[in-house]
Formats: sequence, C-alpha cells, structure tokens
Amino acid sequence: MDRQIRREVSREYFSQERLAEHHFRSFNNFLDRGMQDVVDEKETIDTDIGDKEGQEPVYVELGDVRITTPRVREADGSEELLYPQEARLRNITYAAPVFMEMKIIRGGEEEPETVVDQTETKVGRMPIMVGSNKCNISGFSDDDLVQIGEDPVDPGGYFIVNGSERVLMTSEDLAPNKILAEYDSKYGDEIQVAKTFSQRRGYRALVLCERNREGLLEVSFPSVSGSVNFVTLVRALGLESDEEIVHRVSDDPEIVKFMLENLEEADVQSEEEAIETLGERVASGQGKNYQLKRANYVIDRYLLPHLHEDGVEEEETRSNKAYYLCRMAEACFELALDRREADDKDHYANKRLKVSGDLMKDLFRTALNKLARDVKYQLERANMRNRQLTVNTVVRSDVLTERLEHPIATGNWVGGRSGVSQLVDRTDYMGVLSHLRRLRSPLSRSQPHFEARDLHATQWGRICPSETPEGPNCGLVKNFAQAMELSQNIEDEQGLKRELASMGVEGIPGIEGVDRASADD
Amino acid sequence: MAGATPKEIGGIKFGLMDPETYRDMSATKVITADTYDDDGYPIDMGLMDPRLGVIDPGLECRTCGKHSGSCNGHFGHIELAAPVIHVGFTKLIRRLLRSTCRECGRLALTDEEKEEFSEKLQRTKDLGGDPTDVLKSAVRQARKAKTCPYCSHPQADIKHEKPTTYYEVQDVLAGEYSERIARAMQPDEDEEGEEIGEGMAPQQLADETGIALDRVNDILSGEFRPRQEDRKALEKALDVDLTEEDMNKLMPSDIRDWFEDIPDEDLEALGIDSQGSRPEWMILTVLPVPPVTARPSITLDNGQRSEDDLTHKLVDIIRINQRFMENREAGAPQLIIEDLWELLQYHVTTFVDNEISGTPPARHRSGRPLKTLSQRLKGKEGRFRGSLSGKRVNFSARTVISPDPTLSLNEVGVPERVAEEMTQTMNVSERNIDRARRYVQNGPEAHPGANYVKRPDGRRLKVTEKNCEELAEKVQPGWEVNRHLVDGDIVIFNRQPSLHRMSIMAHEVVVMPYKTFRLNTVVCPPYNADFDGDEMNMHALQNEEARAEARVLMRVQEQILSPRFGENIIGAIQDHISGTYLLTNENPEFTETQALDLLRATSVDELPAPDGQNDAGQDVWTGRTVFSELLPDDLNLEFTSSSGDEVLIEDGQLIRGTVDEDAVGAFGGEVVDTLTKMYSETRARVFINEVASLAMRAIMHFGFSLGIDDESIPPTANEQVDEAIDSAYERVQELIGTYEADELESLPGRTVDETLEMKIMQTLGKARDSAGEIAEDHFADDNPAVIMARSGARGSMLNLTQMTGCVGQQAVRGERINRGYEDRTLAHYKPDDLSAEAHGFVENSYRGGLTPREFFFHAMGGREGLVDTAVRTSKSGYLQRRLINALSELETQYDGTVRDTSGTIVQFEFGEDGTSPVKVSSTEENAIDVDSIADRVVDAEFTSSEEKARFLGREEPPTNLSEYAGPGLDKAQGMGAQSDD
Repeated sequence: MDRQIRREVSREYFSQERLAEHHFRSFNNFLDRGMQDVVDEKETIDTDIGDKEGQEPVYVELGDVRITTPRVREADGSEELLYPQEARLRNITYAAPVFMEMKIIRGGEEEPETVVDQTETKVGRMPIMVGSNKCNISGFSDDDLVQIGEDPVDPGGYFIVNGSERVLMTSEDLAPNKILAEYDSKYGDEIQVAKTFSQRRGYRALVLCERNREGLLEVSFPSVSGSVNFVTLVRALGLESDEEIVHRVSDDPEIVKFMLENLEEADVQSEEEAIETLGERVASGQGKNYQLKRANYVIDRYLLPHLHEDGVEEEETRSNKAYYLCRMAEACFELALDRREADDKDHYANKRLKVSGDLMKDLFRTALNKLARDVKYQLERANMRNRQLTVNTVVRSDVLTERLEHPIATGNWVGGRSGVSQLVDRTDYMGVLSHLRRLRSPLSRSQPHFEARDLHATQWGRICPSETPEGPNCGLVKNFAQAMELSQNIEDEQGLKRELASMGVEGIPGIEGVDRASADD
Repeated sequence: MAGATPKEIGGIKFGLMDPETYRDMSATKVITADTYDDDGYPIDMGLMDPRLGVIDPGLECRTCGKHSGSCNGHFGHIELAAPVIHVGFTKLIRRLLRSTCRECGRLALTDEEKEEFSEKLQRTKDLGGDPTDVLKSAVRQARKAKTCPYCSHPQADIKHEKPTTYYEVQDVLAGEYSERIARAMQPDEDEEGEEIGEGMAPQQLADETGIALDRVNDILSGEFRPRQEDRKALEKALDVDLTEEDMNKLMPSDIRDWFEDIPDEDLEALGIDSQGSRPEWMILTVLPVPPVTARPSITLDNGQRSEDDLTHKLVDIIRINQRFMENREAGAPQLIIEDLWELLQYHVTTFVDNEISGTPPARHRSGRPLKTLSQRLKGKEGRFRGSLSGKRVNFSARTVISPDPTLSLNEVGVPERVAEEMTQTMNVSERNIDRARRYVQNGPEAHPGANYVKRPDGRRLKVTEKNCEELAEKVQPGWEVNRHLVDGDIVIFNRQPSLHRMSIMAHEVVVMPYKTFRLNTVVCPPYNADFDGDEMNMHALQNEEARAEARVLMRVQEQILSPRFGENIIGAIQDHISGTYLLTNENPEFTETQALDLLRATSVDELPAPDGQNDAGQDVWTGRTVFSELLPDDLNLEFTSSSGDEVLIEDGQLIRGTVDEDAVGAFGGEVVDTLTKMYSETRARVFINEVASLAMRAIMHFGFSLGIDDESIPPTANEQVDEAIDSAYERVQELIGTYEADELESLPGRTVDETLEMKIMQTLGKARDSAGEIAEDHFADDNPAVIMARSGARGSMLNLTQMTGCVGQQAVRGERINRGYEDRTLAHYKPDDLSAEAHGFVENSYRGGLTPREFFFHAMGGREGLVDTAVRTSKSGYLQRRLINALSELETQYDGTVRDTSGTIVQFEFGEDGTSPVKVSSTEENAIDVDSIADRVVDAEFTSSEEKARFLGREEPPTNLSEYAGPGLDKAQGMGAQSDD
C-alpha cells in the first residue's frame, strides 16, 4: 500500500466516532445485557419471614430490568428529558431511572405460593455515559447537538455526576481463569508455581499450585489457610486411582516419575478419606459431620469457582476441577523440567482490560446487593407491623442511586480501589481524547516494577509506544494506540464451545461441555 | 521574655517518673470528663480546668496568673482506679518478669553471674558500644533458671500477649489424666492392630510407683488427683505426659507488686538506673494530664467547640475510670471488673500510642483514627522531623526563575513585589536617619519604602499610605525601621533538592520589575537549575551576624570551587562555550568597531596594539587577543583543550589554542580554576562574568544556528554507511551461522548463548561507530553541531552519529531486545530469529527516519531510560537522607581530627590527608600536585633562571655504585660506563 492510501485508511478508521468507542461498546453491553445478568444472578431476595412458627415464608422474585434515558425530576415533581449540557450547568447527575419487575411471593411451606404483589418499580437511577445508546443525544446530528448546547465534536464516553464529568479509567489486570506458571522462592529455594485467578460473577479466588523443594505438589486456595496436598485435593474431587491421576497430569515419563513421588507420599487413598482430611483442615476441632459438610462446601464454593457453569451438575464440575488442577500440576512440572519458560506476566495475551461497562457491572452488583438487603429489612419491618406488603413501599430507590453515584463521584470503587473515576481533563481537546483512551495498571507506583513499566513487544498496535507520563507513573499509565480495537467478552459460552467444536477443537475426553454431536461434521 | 535570666542546660537525664512526682507537679486532679459548662467556661476539675493553663483570650490561668499566650500550661493528673501498663515499656516489663523471681523479686542469677554481667555492661558502656546485647544475654541467662537461686521458688515461664497482657505459664495436671494413664496401660498396637508388648496391670503400676493399689484405682477412676510426686512417678513408670499448660493471667497490680520487690542493686545488672527509676513506675497508677495548651480546642465557625484528639482520649479514660470505681464500690462481679480493667488499659494504651499492631485504633466519630501522643512525635510530620528539624520560616519567597545575562553571577533579580514584602531591619542612627526617613516617607507601597517602624519603647507601628509622612517626621535615632529590600542587600537563594553546599548560596539583590527571580545563567550548574518552569526560594536575612556570614561564606563567588572535586563548578556553559570556541579556534580577525563591540559589556575599554591589518588596510585584532584582554596580565598556563589542541597562555596572552569547555567551562575549566586558586574569588567572578558576556557577543557576531540540513551527509557517504552496516549484518549472520552449527566457542565464564549475544552486540556496536566515523568525515569543521560537540558546549559526537549515520542497537537492561511474543520479539519476525533487525538494531539515522519496527524498538529502549530516571530520583533522595543522617554530626575539630558528638574519632586527619580539595590543586595521579607547587614556589623566589639553577645545584651525576642506583639510573644506562669518580 502506498503511503497515501495507508493514510487514508488510517484516517477513515480513526474517525471521530471511534475515539471513545471502547467505552460505548462496553457500557452499552452493560446496559443491554450486564444489568440483566446481575439481576438474574441474584434471582431472589430471601427474607427471614417464616422462620418463626406459623408464618409463611416470603421472598421477592426479581424479573426484568429496564432503563430509560436520562431524566430530571424537578422540584414540582415533573420529570423531563435531561441533556448533558443541562446536567453540567445545573450540577446534577446525568442519570436514567432503572425499573425492575418484582414479585413478592408468600407461601410454600403449608400454603401454596401466592403472589402478594407484582409490579415494575423504579429501583434507582443509573448514571448514563454521554454518547451511549441510552444517552439522550445519541443519534443527534451536529446541528441538533448545537441546538441543545452540546459540542458536536465532543467524544463522549464519560459520566456526569453532580455536574462534574468523570471518566472511568480502564484498568489492566492479569487475565483471570488462566494458568500462569512462574518461579518463586520460598525459604531461599526456587520453587515452581502455577497460578490461576479464578473469577466468576465478581468473586475472585487465587488458586496456587506449588511444587515445593521436596518435589511435592501443594495447592492453596481461599478459605483454607496454608496449603493442601495436591493428591489429597484431587482425590477429594473424585479422581481416585493413581493411574487416573498420573494420566491426567501427563503421560510424559519424567513427569510421571515426579507424579509417582507425589503419590507415594500421599496419605489418603479414597475420596471419602480425602474429604475427611480436608474437613480436618477447614474446620478443625469441629464435629465430624460439620467437617464433612464444610469440606464439601469449601470445595464447591471456593475452589476454582470459574469452572462452575449454569446447568452443569456439581459432580461434573468437580471432575473438571480435578482435571484443571492436574493441568496446573503439569505446568509446574514442565517448568521444573525446563520444558517451558515461565509465563510472561507482561505479555498482552495475559492481560485483560476492565472498561467502564465492567466497572459499572461490579458497581451495580454491590449496589443491587445493598438494595436487596434494604428490601429485606423493609419487608421484615412491614411484616412485623402487619402491613400490606407491596413492592412500591419496600423499595427505596435512593439506596441503589447512592451506591451507584457515590463511587463515580469520588472514584472510590467497590473492593477498595480508588481513583477509578477521574475528572475529565479539559485542558484542551487533545487532553480529553488522551484521557478517554487512558489505561492504568493497578501495580503500585512506589515500587520499581521495571519489567511492568517496559514497553512490551506485544503492545505493538494496541498501546501507544510513546505516550506515557514521566515520573512515578511511567509505563504504568498507558494510552491506547490509534487503531486499537477492544474485543468484548462473548455472550454465550456454550455457543462458543459449540462453535469451537464445529471447527474441529476436541475436548479432553471425559470433560463436559462440548457438544460431541456437532463436532462430528 | 524580658528580664528572664538565661540558663544553661547542664545535661538531660531520661528515666521513669515517680507517681508521687506526677501528683506533686500536678496543678489539679481531674475528675470530670466534661470540659465546658453551658456558659462556655471551663469546668473546675474538668479537662479544661483553668489551673491547667488557658487558651481562651481573656481568661487568667489559676496556677500562674498569666494569660493565654504567656502561660505555658500546667500538668494535671488522673488517679487511675486500678494500675495499668504503660505500652511504651511492654518489652522491658516482659524482660523483668522473665528474669526476676516471682516470689522474692530478685534477679534469678547467682551473685557471680550478676557480677559478671554488671562488669560486662560497664565495659560495653565505657567502650561506647550498644549495651542491649549484654542485657539480653543476662535476661536469657536468668530465664534459664528453673528455681530462684535465693529463695528456691520455682520459676514459671512468662508469655506475653501483645500488647499488654502477660501470662504465667505453669505445667499442671491435665484434666483427662485418668484417660491418659489408662491408655498408657493398654498394650501397644502395631500397624495391623495387633498387640505387641505387654500392658500394665494396676498392681504392677502400684508396685513400680510405690503408690498404694487402692489409690492407683482411685486415680484411674478419676476420683483422686495425683500429687506432684505421684504424678512424676506415674509419668516415669508409664512414659506418658500427664501435664498440660495452664496460663495464669498477671494483672497489672500483680506485676506492680512483683516489681516493688526487685532490689535496686539487681536493677543495675539489668541496665536500669536505680537512681530515680523504679520498675514499678512502668505500671501507671496516676496518669498525667497534658496541659490545655498542648491540646487546644478550636471553635468552629458555627460557635461549636471541637476538642483535640488528646482531650477526646482523656474523656474516654476518665469515663471508664469512673465506671470502674463505681462498679468496684458496688461490688460488681470479678468478670465485669476485669472487663472494665481491660477497657481502661485499652484507653490508656491508645492514649499513648494509637498505632499498635493487634489493637484496633481508637477512632473519632467520623471514623478517622485519633492522633495520640506517639503519633504526634513519630514520622515525617511528627514533632521531631516535622517541627524541630524542619521549620517554616518568615521572610521567604518563592517564584519561577528566568535567565538574565546582564546580572553578575553574584546577583539575583528580585521582583518588586517580593522586595516590598521582605524587609530588613534598619537601626536608625544619626548617620542613616535621612535614609530611614526617606524609606518611611515612601510608605509600604512605593518601592524603596518601609513596612513597619519600632519605637524604642518596643511599640511596633505599621507604616501605611496614610501615616507614612507623619511617621517619617517622628523617626528618631534609636528607632528601628523595617525597610524594603534594596539593591545590594544580601539574601539566601536556594533550589530544591538541596543536594550539596552550592544548592544554597547568598546573592546580592537587584530589584527588578515583573514577577520572576532572575539569575545569571552561569549559576545554573551549582543549583542544577534550568528555566523550564523551575522555582526557587529566597530568604531575607534578619540580623547582622547572618548577613555578614552570608556575605563572607555563602556568596556565589565563594562557591566557585566545588568541595566535591576541588575544581570550579561555576563557569561558562552552552552558548558561552560555543562563543569562545568561535572566537578563538580559528583566531578570526576583528576590526576596531567589532572588537570593541565584543568587549562592550566587559570592563575593558581600551584595545591593545593591533595584531595587523586587513586587506582594506584597517587595524585588526585577533579573537585570541580579544579574549586575552579578560585575563590577568601575569597568567601563565598550559593545557590541552577539549577540542584537542594545546592551549598556551603566557603573561596573560593567549598565544595559541582554543578556549572551550576545558578552559572556561563549568566543572573544571582550567582558566577559571586557576584564577580562583591563584588570584582570588573576586578575580574569578569578574572573569566568568566577562567571559560570559564576551562569548555572547561573539556568538552573536558570528551567528549560530542548527538546522536539519546540518545533519545531512552526501549520498555517497550514506552509501558508505549502508555498506558498513551491511558488512556488520554479514558478520552477525556469520556468527549466527557458527552458533547454529554449534561451532561457536564460548567465552570464559559465559554460556554459548551469552557469548553469541555479546559478540553480536560488539559487532553492531562497531558498525554504529564506523557509521559515525564515516559521517564525521563528511562534516565540515564549521558545522554547528560539530562545533558544539567538539567544544563541549552541548551534545556529543554520538548524538551526531545517531542523527546522521545510524541510531544503533537498542538495549533494555544492557541486552538486546529479547522479550515479546514467544520465541520472537515482534510478530513481524519468524520465531527464533537471531538477526540484528529482529532484536532492535536500528540501521537508519534519526534524520533518515526510522521504520515503524525500528521506531517501536527505539521506544522500548527509550522507555527504560524514562523509568530509570523516575525510579532513580526517588531512590537517591532516600539514600541522600540516610547519608546525611549518618554523617550530620561529624565535625572537624581544631586539632584536625574528625569526631562525632560523643568525641569518638572518625578520622585522625580530615579526609585522611588533612587537605581541602578546594585549597589544593591536584593531578590525576596525586591528590596533591607537589611538583607544580614546588615549581611555583621556587619560580617565585628567583628572578633569573641562572639564579634558580645555582640554588637548586648541580644535578646528581650518575654513579656506578650499583646498577639499581637511584636518580642517575636512566642516564647511566644511556651513557654506558663513564668515569669512576
């Protein structure tokens, strides 16, 4: 291609609409799908009503959520369409009301379940990204924009909370649900570790599989202090026989040798024994039954949560977990045998970006939980006073609104992160553009982190090689490259699996999920 | 403080304070947690009791009768309902508990041991060592004792649960002793569950232990608890452990009783000064209440009072204390008393230190942790580092700096606004009364004016626009006038970070319009300042001693020589150097007008005899002659310039050579350095000022600019560069070939891979150098970039090479670029490509332009530099701080030794050689250049060379006494065997 054509293509590609495209796509995706997903995860709000004798339990079923475009409620009670410029000038929040379908259901114990009240109610207000699909100015022509006092070349992509424009900083995290093998040192010895940040529905659990200096594998995961023997854990997950375990890890003779060492040291042989041993670890000093219950709970709840999938049985999930742990073990051994190199944490394949939609999803999840707690409290109170239970009286929309607006206004996000939202840099137009396309690494700026600050070759085409601040944030704060395109998480994992299978990807035998029938063609 | 007799502090002694002393010095007992009554007056015996001092204006202190501002405040006290532990001493308390006897309180060491430790302690103290190790070993020794050597009472181990709980750990009979015995009596089982060995019948047990059989049965049924002797016998017979640990909590009152028994002489061995410090005082029974002045409450805008954090904490303590007493009087159960006791302990603990690990910090209603006593002292913003070592000052100014070449290097341009704000005190006398009156007359707003006057009776009057005329009349000798800064005043000027002595220097004021401080550009190197937005601080000195000291010691001209390397740090920079280079390198000729124009801003107003005539018949002066006008007439100097030619100065005339960085530059310019050392700082200052202005004139005369075309070389040269690079590529390819054929020999201590990398780096480095050489060959001598690089003004030949020839290999952490995708750097290359271009070799020049891949590699290399600078600045700051703290108290004494504050000698002679780098000239080899000093001294003594030769005597003739004979050896060898005499 000659230079002229390249320039043309580049200009065409990097059009004005694409400046904050990643924000729009992410946020629109959140509005269209993410919000409903979070509500569906929650499903119901259970109450303590019915714990007492002679009372029928009450719970709330959450249904569809619907969001309109930004409105402002005036002092006289009237509600009008709100445009961004008005929000800026009046120091109000550019937010749209969120409605949710809710059903209060009583019964189920002795009486049949009856719907006490069902209605769509306003649960709160969601700040809307300027320029997103739910924004009042989306689809306006330049003249229309000028008409309502908007700058036609303003890229959008930010929120307006209490009149101040806030961008949500895209943050760069280590890829979750991926095995990363690396070296570590413990008591002066070099050991091999396979790490996975297992993530599902906002819950994040770090699972470590270490090969200690004796060559024994140990796994550590949340809610278990210290580490658990690998063989014990795998057996607890239902992978019992020596042969199966070895086979699952690897057929490589050297790795098999390593694995046999581990099996020799193993002090449990069966699934029950393994679960008992685990029970002693997670609930020592408690009753036997409780220990077993707790061990099972811990395995199903805290170990590799990302392997859970809707509609997949617990049994199958457990064997998937066992296989996954075996894969981690294999990674450790391969590293120990120099069969592979340590994974490069700074490789962009090992990074995931959290854009505004993802951040808003986290926020909405905690806000909804808070709302649920409030609804529960209100329901119980109303019930105590023998009032009629109605959806509209138990939902206080301020709860959700406050929880959504406050983090955006201050930048103090859920999970203790701060500086997530920043005031849009309006020094000049370029400042705005740069700010909207900025990217932040969560690494501490006070430590050197030389490797993380380096320009990594995999950033080619994705991140600008030149634009980074000088000083303590150097290399940690980055900016997107011109032609950067951010891909979104896929909607339908099952669909993806089917698609992959149809393209000839074979699953590990004995693992669920791949529709074998369609793999045949 | 008028009338107060100055007192000298003879010494400070730290120790514990007696609760009785607390009571004695207390102005009042505090019993109510309330502060102010409804009328806003402090409550009697409350936390704001007026006997504790006053903070509200108008109230009178009931202890000293003074008013707020002059009353320093007085301590009060709280009688604690029960003793509590002082958190500051928990470690010492633990040590004492472990090393002394529970029963008699004596140190659990025999007299000999005690003696030994006392001696050791004394010895370490005498040697100025750290006594903690000795003390620790004493405690360790004492802790070993199972029983007290004096009263034979068994010693229990002490467990310390942080922060303030202590337990006595004792072995007592386990609750399930009968089960344990029964289990031990059963025969052992092997792995299959088969019994091996024999069990023990009760009868057998009774026989073995000597306990009656029915008693054994009682024990086995759990009806009888075996006594200690029986237990031991049982344990021995059955080989079981029947004990478990029992933890007995020590209440603070127990500890206090215990400590009261410790005799004074035992304390000495533990390193406690028994004179005035008793260990039981570490357990508080009385809590001193800091004066109100130490915890002032502030009145908010809405009239509400907001109390200090300490007051809040004291309120908590008093409340709990009260509740404790009430509960105890009411005979509350032990459990409640203990809870309250713990609560009281918590409050007293957090009153002292609110950042103890393991204790939740006491919080304000808003959730902010309270700032209590130790938080006031600790850390960067604490009393020590924040208020005592670092203070905020008046009479200081800060603004942006900008250059002004017309100022002398001793001067600083001060904006009028600053000059009007910062004043100097004038003591009015007959001799300056007219001036003083004029200043007052001008008022505070006109420039050389005055802001305040002070009458002899101490009244300070503000000079205003309205009263200035009137006041001016009144000014009499004996008054003080605070006048504005005027030209010639001395001020201190500073730029942070203040990394060396020259970061703070004294300048003379030149009051100027506009709003920035102006400096001569030659003082940029010592301050490390530039004008891209840098700000600097100025301090106006407030007394004559300070002004005199600043003028004599701190003036810029006194700092021309750097104590770091003994050469000048102030000198010509950048364009000054290009200027002198242009002026002297090819020795151009100037007509009279031109020559006078060059010297216009200097003190030279007459030209010497012309050097010749030009084609037009006009008299001309050469550049070197013009430059020589600035030199003192008797200067003789010979050195090599940075552009490589020999410079010769004879009798103040530059005979030949180029004047460039090595002659007049900052950081060791020979001429400046010699002038400062041989003549005077003043002469050097004059010289630097004049060189700077001459150089500016010169560079303006010739014109000097740098453009893109100055970096281009002819196409043929470019081809040569390409050839050089191509041949380097070939060599690299060869290396890779041998490597892949497994024929590469590794260098000693390196792997083959490392060897290959090194060799490739070497080859490519050479390629760039040869590209640079080719480029250099094609530059004209008058190329501005070349002039700058050669004269040392700015830039280097490497910069030029990169601009015109080839940028060269990009490196990250000293290696070629290796990270990236798996087995390759960028996706553009095949995996395992070892070639130069795949690992960051940039073959193009900056001028030619980099390919996208090269650009990216260059960015990778560049990023490392950026990160490095960012990380380095923070690290070096911390390092500097530590160094300063370690060395700050070292001082050179009058006897020439360097000692610390305790008198310990650090160096027997300053710098081990007793010389100051500033006062002594040095050569590369020797710290002191003895030869040249001797030459100079001898030269000065004699007028003719004959005289000198006569004095020095004949040179030693060679001897034949030995082949290794000293001075004549070389000559002897040259001449062979000569005469015998």
